[in-house]
Amino acid sequence: MTEFATMDFHPQPQAGEPKPWAFPAPERSSLDNGLTVLRCHRPGQQVVAVEVLLDAPLDAEPAGLDGVATIMARAFSEGTDKHSAEEFAAELERCGATLDALADHPGVRLSLEVPASRLAKALGLLADALRAPAFADGEVERLVRNRLDEIPHELANPARRAAKELSKELFPAGTRMSRPRQGTEETVADIDSAAVRTFYEKHVRPATATAVVVGDLTGVDLDALLGDTLGAWTGSAAEPRPVPPVTADDRGRVVIVDRPGAVQTQLLIGRTGSDRHDRVWPAQVLGTYCLGGTLTSRLDRVLREEKGYTYGVRAFGQVLRSAPDGTGAAMLAISGSVDTPNTGPALQDLWTVLRTLAEGGLTDAERDVAVQNLVGVAPLKYETAAAVASTLADQVEQHLPDDYQATLYRQLAATGTVEATAAVVNAFPVDRLVTVLVGDAAQIKAPVEALGIGEVTVVAAE
Amino acid sequence: MPMGHTATAQADSGGLTATEHRLANGLRVVLSEDHLTPVAAVCLWYDVGSRHEVKGRTGLAHLFEHLMFQGSAQVKGNGHFELVQGAGGSLNGTTSFERTNYFETMPAHQLELALWLEADRMGSLLSALDDESMENQRDVVKNERRQRYDNVPYGTAFEKLTALAYPEGHPYHHTPIGSMADLDAATLEDARAFFRTYYAPNNAVLSVVGDIDPEQTLAWIERYFGSIPSHDGKQPPRDGSLPDIMGEQLREVVEEEVPARALMAAYRLPEDGTRACDAADLALTVLGGGESSRLYNRLVRRDRTAVAAGFGLLRLAGAPSLGWLDVKTSGDVEVPAIETAIDEELARFAEEGPTAEEMERAQAQLEREWLDRLGTVAGRADELCRYAVLFGDPQLALTAVQRVLEVTAEEVQEVAKTRLRPDNRAVLVYEPTAPADENDATDENEEAAK
Repeated sequence: MTEFATMDFHPQPQAGEPKPWAFPAPERSSLDNGLTVLRCHRPGQQVVAVEVLLDAPLDAEPAGLDGVATIMARAFSEGTDKHSAEEFAAELERCGATLDALADHPGVRLSLEVPASRLAKALGLLADALRAPAFADGEVERLVRNRLDEIPHELANPARRAAKELSKELFPAGTRMSRPRQGTEETVADIDSAAVRTFYEKHVRPATATAVVVGDLTGVDLDALLGDTLGAWTGSAAEPRPVPPVTADDRGRVVIVDRPGAVQTQLLIGRTGSDRHDRVWPAQVLGTYCLGGTLTSRLDRVLREEKGYTYGVRAFGQVLRSAPDGTGAAMLAISGSVDTPNTGPALQDLWTVLRTLAEGGLTDAERDVAVQNLVGVAPLKYETAAAVASTLADQVEQHLPDDYQATLYRQLAATGTVEATAAVVNAFPVDRLVTVLVGDAAQIKAPVEALGIGEVTVVAAE
Repeated sequence: MPMGHTATAQADSGGLTATEHRLANGLRVVLSEDHLTPVAAVCLWYDVGSRHEVKGRTGLAHLFEHLMFQGSAQVKGNGHFELVQGAGGSLNGTTSFERTNYFETMPAHQLELALWLEADRMGSLLSALDDESMENQRDVVKNERRQRYDNVPYGTAFEKLTALAYPEGHPYHHTPIGSMADLDAATLEDARAFFRTYYAPNNAVLSVVGDIDPEQTLAWIERYFGSIPSHDGKQPPRDGSLPDIMGEQLREVVEEEVPARALMAAYRLPEDGTRACDAADLALTVLGGGESSRLYNRLVRRDRTAVAAGFGLLRLAGAPSLGWLDVKTSGDVEVPAIETAIDEELARFAEEGPTAEEMERAQAQLEREWLDRLGTVAGRADELCRYAVLFGDPQLALTAVQRVLEVTAEEVQEVAKTRLRPDNRAVLVYEPTAPADENDATDENEEAAK
């Protein structure tokens, strides 16, 4: 049997000399059809990532047809003028490719990943899907039914249910942001292939789209390849789309979504803030990390590592929708789940953490560790082509310059403790947070009311 | 180097190579250079998992993994997390049936810190382990169990399937998360004994992958790990071997508050590391991987009886692997309609085998999954450890994809015919009830500390 005293101990080693690393700068160009292209060669990354952004935002969905952007996005991979739905899926998988499509507030995004050796074929399929989607009646009808079947699963998931309720609480009734991104049972049921095609014809064209291609492009003639594939996609010129302003009601209050018998309470505590055009963003990223970026941040230091109330609580800022003039918005939130009996004490501690932060601010040591982590992890975080492509696509979608991420790292390194404190305290003011709790109302309502964090209402889970 | 080198011939796969070394205390070391990005991954596999746990102490390996982050002789409290993150690294640990792994991905110039930290806890964890950590992490793990399994629909399905597929008393009968009662029962002395039994350099493999200088890296490893004493206190896991097929169809019907009916099944399949296991992987991919698979086409596209349908493979080396079918029904469709269709498809597949096109697709998909796994230094480090711990040869990681591409259609048909049979499956059926109270649920086979 070994015992612990017998090894030789050595002092903690010092770091070596850091090697330079910078977030990759993409090369920007455009095709004859107006499609914007960003490319980035990443040596050794054999799986190439392609992201295509379409200017088809959720607020462009016709009244009563929430979800049509989602159905359209999914229908892109359900057949073209060359392949039936089954054939299209088979051809993609024959390339070893995956193709995901997601409709969100800023637009529709298609994400292709494929080994570099089969990039040509997969880009051809992606181009067919954008250029000549079949949108066959039967396939759209199936996607609609499939989507309707998914909704009850989402409502039964505590985290998804909480997100739905927070959107409904925060944003004015009648705005697209107040409603589920992928539609409700009522709106989805009314979607058919004609509605999908109309939405496509109105909002999908190369002139307002961007393709981001990242990976090991050694030996790939990307210009020729793009010309033969996405270059064959045609469409009318761009029409500028006004971006509706985002407003939110962040009066401090609590909504309990009742889930009798739940062994945990899902927390989602949020409000909105400005988008990444705001100069405060780097400081807010830093401060938010100190508050709840990891298990050694303030929230988990108490809620997890001292009290054991949770497996982990995180604070984050996530852009919802951005505009070139900076009038967009981000969701600022704290989320996690805590065991039912400790829901009241956990929320009390959470508010205490926020108040203590507002009163005493961050320490220089906290700030330093946060900067070292946020900046230091960049080479790890951006090892894969998919990670680089996703961030480049985010920048385009949010109307940010192509060197935004590279600049952000420099700004983070230059942000001081005072600025980070001010940013996070302003981001999470204790009296302007909307708290959604998905849990057993009979057990948690009274303790939560006793905290005085706002009026408590209870709604049914369904 | 003052250590017993056993550097082997370098295998070749996409230009990736690895060298092997062994310290005098038995610690096996695998190094792989890749200078494309200034990062280095450290991965440490201990050859202990939930299969080593004894009755009444399920979940101990995973709870213990959490305790490995609570400090050691020279690392205070959460210092392991703080130091790695403060150095710009990322880290975690996970526990599965067959192993426990710990990993740090670091900027290359911070590699030495990660080695120092891993050595400190390998050699001196018990000097810091106390009741306070134990009680705190017990609560954290219980909340992990609630969050990932007990508080989500179908959350305990995997746990139930495992319990059906591996009989009572079998080392894989329970999953790594363990039961609430056993988590409550674990004592500080259990944790200490667990460390003394399983945590030793001769029961571990350390891999370092990325932008490294191999000579320097080996010197650091010798400096920090070299004096940790080895010991032979390890208990071998109970025998996990089982007959190739279950011999009957096992079945459990769960009435719970879930959003839709579901049909799940576990098939007993060949052990990981065999050619037949790769054939099974291809069979499950043809039948239920992606959106051009036979079951997806039949149930989701044509019959429209399911909202989702797919097969997954849990590769296991010390017991039969597990093929996991998961179908969620559409609307009011009842389970027997789905079950009949699945039986038809499986029988037809066993009769015909895969087409050439299906083989091409399945192999292309598995090839891409391998490229993804080996595309990061952390993924590569983990695979090198996996093959070293489970199969004694890390080089096998670099040629794994070739082996999948060599499997023939006949071998795929053979495994389907002999294994994907009704008398070799455990079936779990979910029937929704009206809103009730306590419910259970499932999913993964790994537990993570973070």
